Amino acid sequence: MSAAAAGSDRPVDLEKSAAEIPDAETTEVPEKLRAEIEAYMARYPDPRSATLPALEAAQRVHGWCSPQALEQVACVMRLTPAYLESVATFYDMLETTPVGRHSIYVCTNISCSLRGGDALYAAVRDAAADEPEEFNVRSFECLGACDIAPMASVDGVYVGPLALEDVPRLLDDARAGRRVLVEKQLAPRLVADTQANSREFPPHPPQEPASR
Amino acid sequence: MTEKLLFADIDEPGLHTLGVYERRGGYASLRKAFSMTPEDVLAELEASGLRGRGGAGFQMGKKVSFLPKGSMEKYLVCNADESEPGTFKDRELMQKSPHMLIEGIVIASYAAGAQRSFIYIRGEYVLQADVLDAALAEAREAGFIGEDILGSRHSLSLVLHRGAGAYICGEETALLDSLEGKRGNPRLKPPFPANQGLYQGPTLINNVETLSTVPVIIRMGGAEYAKLGAESSTGTKLVSVSGHVQRPGNYEVVLGTPSREIIYGLAGGPPEGREVKCWFPGGSSAPVLTAEHLDVSYDFDSLAKAGSMLGSGAIIVVDDSTPILDVALKVAKFYQHESCGKCTPCREGTNWTVKMLQRIELGEATPMDLEIMASVQDHIMGNCLCVLGDAMAMPISSIISHFKEELEAHMERARLRPAETLVSA
Amino acid sequence: MITFTIDGREVRAPENAMLVDAAKHGDVEIPVFCYEPKLGNPVGACRMCLVEIEGIPKLQTGCSTPAKDGMVVHTQSERARVAQQAVVEFLLINHPLDCPVCDKGGECPLQDITFGWGAGTSRFIEPKRHFVKPLALSERIAIDRERCILCYRCVRFSQEISEDNQLVLVERGAHSYVATFDGHPYEATFTGNIIELCPVGALTSRPYRFRARPWDIEDAGSVCTLCPSQCNVTLTVRDERVIRVLARDNGEVDDGWLCDRGRFAYPALGGLPATAAALADAPAAAENGAGRITEPMIRDGGQLRVVSWERAMTEAVAGLRRAGERVGAIAGGQATNEEGLLLARLMREGAGSPHVDSRAAGTLELELHLALNEPRLQARVSDLEFAHAVLVLEGDPIRDAPILDLRLRKGVRRHGMKLIRATREELLAGPRELADKLAGAGEEIVVLWAERLTAGPDGSRAAAALLELADALSLGDVEGAGLLEIPAHTNGRGLREAGVLPNAGPGLSDPAATGDASPTGRDAAGIAEELAAGELTGLYLLQSDPLLEPADREVWERALERAATVVAHASFLTEGIREHADVVFPSEAYAEKEGTITHPDGRLQRLRPAVAHPGSIRAEWSVIVELASRLGLDLEVLTGAMASAQLFESVPFYAGLTLEEIGGKGVRWQEREAAGAYPTREQLV
Ligand SMILES: Cc1cc2nc3c(=O)[nH]c(=O)nc-3n(C[C@H](O)[C@H](O)[C@H](O)COP(=O)(O)O)c2cc1C
Ligand code: SF4
Ligand code: FES
Repeated sequence: MSAAAAGSDRPVDLEKSAAEIPDAETTEVPEKLRAEIEAYMARYPDPRSATLPALEAAQRVHGWCSPQALEQVACVMRLTPAYLESVATFYDMLETTPVGRHSIYVCTNISCSLRGGDALYAAVRDAAADEPEEFNVRSFECLGACDIAPMASVDGVYVGPLALEDVPRLLDDARAGRRVLVEKQLAPRLVADTQANSREFPPHPPQEPASR
Repeated sequence: MTEKLLFADIDEPGLHTLGVYERRGGYASLRKAFSMTPEDVLAELEASGLRGRGGAGFQMGKKVSFLPKGSMEKYLVCNADESEPGTFKDRELMQKSPHMLIEGIVIASYAAGAQRSFIYIRGEYVLQADVLDAALAEAREAGFIGEDILGSRHSLSLVLHRGAGAYICGEETALLDSLEGKRGNPRLKPPFPANQGLYQGPTLINNVETLSTVPVIIRMGGAEYAKLGAESSTGTKLVSVSGHVQRPGNYEVVLGTPSREIIYGLAGGPPEGREVKCWFPGGSSAPVLTAEHLDVSYDFDSLAKAGSMLGSGAIIVVDDSTPILDVALKVAKFYQHESCGKCTPCREGTNWTVKMLQRIELGEATPMDLEIMASVQDHIMGNCLCVLGDAMAMPISSIISHFKEELEAHMERARLRPAETLVSA
Repeated sequence: MITFTIDGREVRAPENAMLVDAAKHGDVEIPVFCYEPKLGNPVGACRMCLVEIEGIPKLQTGCSTPAKDGMVVHTQSERARVAQQAVVEFLLINHPLDCPVCDKGGECPLQDITFGWGAGTSRFIEPKRHFVKPLALSERIAIDRERCILCYRCVRFSQEISEDNQLVLVERGAHSYVATFDGHPYEATFTGNIIELCPVGALTSRPYRFRARPWDIEDAGSVCTLCPSQCNVTLTVRDERVIRVLARDNGEVDDGWLCDRGRFAYPALGGLPATAAALADAPAAAENGAGRITEPMIRDGGQLRVVSWERAMTEAVAGLRRAGERVGAIAGGQATNEEGLLLARLMREGAGSPHVDSRAAGTLELELHLALNEPRLQARVSDLEFAHAVLVLEGDPIRDAPILDLRLRKGVRRHGMKLIRATREELLAGPRELADKLAGAGEEIVVLWAERLTAGPDGSRAAAALLELADALSLGDVEGAGLLEIPAHTNGRGLREAGVLPNAGPGLSDPAATGDASPTGRDAAGIAEELAAGELTGLYLLQSDPLLEPADREVWERALERAATVVAHASFLTEGIREHADVVFPSEAYAEKEGTITHPDGRLQRLRPAVAHPGSIRAEWSVIVELASRLGLDLEVLTGAMASAQLFESVPFYAGLTLEEIGGKGVRWQEREAAGAYPTREQLV
């Protein structure tokens, strides 16, 4: 948001030309990215529907939706980069400024905050403050896991309930690319409703998201 | 009552795989549906009285019947955006029983005559989306999705679409814009999606839980399903309970269960020594109720009569240790952050409300401000393009009316606080 | 028509008109910000138009609710008033109170609506949102984000009308703002329209900034003559200068839009110092950066020098006398019908020369010409929008007549029109085959063709093929179908109809029939050759510089070199004039002109002088009339109106027209009874 806010206070550069749909001849797009975007476009009756998955893919390649990333998507999808910027800035998971490698979303919405989510966020933010290239710590709206409040999503993996003592290990695990806080992951938990299930079942084995 | 329809085998290891799901009777409802005409399937859905589980509580069968007949391209969209604060039931269903949702989608598409379908899942649900992707691959492989499904001559494509973080995309028309690759701005209604939805075509939009219930209804028969629950609130409902309770989580309850039984009986009530101060019966968009209302029957109509709503079925409990101002600020900030910005009252009204609440917090407000704040809520309610604005105005209004004295006392205290203590705030 | 009740009044209105429009039939105004029918379907975003409708619990947006028979609507009820005041209060939360220094002041919908529907006070005491202001959005447009009320109009224009998709909203909610990508300027063909669309002073014209306040200015309606689109405009005038050009909505011509060239080239019309961008687009002025010519000049010792009118007239008359019959004349595309008519008479009757031309693509046999312009075969501009398909033949609307590009986009987007392109080669290869390809698209087909299709040695063959195509598609028999030519120059059609052709007199009559001059006139290319060969010795240029046409430059250089007398009406010292004219009459800009021009689809439109002539400029027609008189020919014209009357008399299918009938919106001659006087092919021998 900060660079974007600056964008609102910056005059345009009159030396630049209009930002039209990028020229396919002169815009270089990594082959894998192009193929991925084209595959998304083929899934929908209207290829424009692929905008979100395409931006997400470009963000994975570039680390954020940089102007260059937007131009590449624009080139493959035959859209203007402005159109994509407009879309990208609308969605919280698309980053329009450079961010750290590991995304840590700490939920600070009502249910988590009733259980200490704000303090948790402050602790994670402070602990990661010296490593802006490593961590992208964000206070997030309800992540849909209030049953494990206070919680966080670390590179897409939900963990909770978290205590302040968990913070160092959470960062260590993320930094090392290990499974984060295995025993605190949401995936293996049984449903809270004790009357559910016609039989007894063991907890599920932990699952890592496949798409990361 | 302990009737379990959606949660009967929810934790069975491997339920998310086709093999286990089928062993548990999965896809039998689909075969049964295909032995009936689409009209008969629709009749069962209507007979069940099933009301939408996403928030608005509109009768599902009726919504299906609104789609125009004829051979034009129709769409079915499953709303898996689940972003209403306090709500996490769809997550449990998708992660543990994805095939039940897929089966429900195929049956519903048959009744609606839709040949293309989409699941719009919030981008944060990475694990659940991956599980669904795998299940979709199995279902395609097994011929439950695709051309001429099980020889029924019904064909259906199903694409999983991941969102990217915006609460407003749960609103059905914003979801459609987002699915079309645009900013998630709600559309003006009419036209309603049933007539002009995705890609301008007739579109049925239902919540994950609603669609997951469809195979159950076909199995039991609509009339049998309707016997469960309260009048005009039939069947069972997944309730996500969170906040100040001892056992937060998802519970499947028969509609009409007393709220106290859910909050205290199932979820264990507030921690030792604390009392319920207020609770949101249906997500943070619902007006708050107080301890007085704990005996209200948990169903659509009773909650409406009590001045709130069942919404998404998410109970958030706040105990007496929490200043009400904190709750109000959290709620207002959320809607301010999530307002799409398209319509004036919501964009400016949410923003203004947050600023007023912050002034109260800082001790810069006067009792007049409560009046202004209440009037701003009135000016938002009913005047916006979609109901996101109302979704803030309703709880804030209810907080002002239930907790006026506490808020006034807070203002008074904050104003008297010495300046230096305010800096940290 | 239906009857509904609004604020206690029974009102009749068209069924399904939106309430805000239907209300106008009862003189009730419902305030709007985001509603602008030109931008497509209503979006219901600003919520300014909330009204109460009996029987509906919630207030409804008047911009998107169609009026129904028996509906009872209240715009002044307590509930409606509270809601309207609330929306005004919300909108003013972030809007700065800088009206005294805002260009929009005095013509600002937000000011008017606040005055009419606001509560008069605000209870908002928090700081407003701040942006640096104003910033350049492009060479021509400034953006002041603090003033923006997020009505979406400008970005909808960019996305849904011009479809350039460069101007967008970024961020979300109260943080949203209007922006371009990564600091790129908003540069496209129609950007200036957003200035007019903006209901506040957030988007302003940089050249117009601080030039005037609404109470200093006067408005004058006219027609832009910078291209064949002939868009209707309102000229903003202060102290006898055009300081702004605005669109003047004419559904049959421009649909209410204006291109940037039409909007911003006005400094070159004799107004303000030009900005670089405006200059680049100004006709010819960019050539040497010279300013307007405002005094007569003659060549003296190789140099042009300012002289008195008397001196210039004398020189011109002497030159024309010397040339006698051996003179040719060319009228440029910005000349009016009247000027064309009088010029042709000056040549034919005064000098006895048949060599007059105005058609850039060269002569077409009169028979073909008549066939191509047959009234029943002519499509209207609005047909482009509603046709089943439009075939663009050898043209590029965005370059040739930009505003038509918007119409085509609208047709495709809103009415499912099919847009098909074909080249001249494809046409020549087989008009029937081309017709077969189009047949599937539907019956109503418009062929939009550019004049240059019929240029060159194959020109006649292409014209014949075009007629064959029209025949195969029965374009003449289907309502809404037809041919629409984009002439190379603005008033190409009108000048031909006025008789500025080597092979046709006024009304496309066969000149042989009148006996005024031998029918074997030479066209522009022929004139050049004969000048170069010394066969002709005089040249009369009416707002035309042949050296600006890239085609026959070499021949023209020799022709001008060799010509003994070159008399020119010109506004700028472009190369041909600067190097070769012997007498230069300072020419009017369209903002100063009186007369008529004819739109490519046959609509006669009226130019009205908005500003006085700068310097000692005189009306073109009066200069021609005086020259004729000195050459012994009385053209019988004493006023501009008399020139028009003579035009309407001379062109049989214009018969009976008056300037009043043409009025502000123009009249298509094909739709009048006199169209029956159009010469048929059979009438030709
Ligand atoms: C701001 C807003 C957010 C919403 N979020 C969701 C959501 O996350 N999931 C959902 O199913 N419905 C959501 N809804 C409700 C949908 O608009 C729609 O009513 C629902 O998907 C219909 O499905 P159902 O009839 O099965 O409940 C939301 C509505 C609003 C106004
Ligand atoms: S800049 Fe003007 S036209 Fe554009 S959104 Fe803002 S107020 Fe509307
Ligand atoms: S004019 Fe109706 S909502 Fe804007």
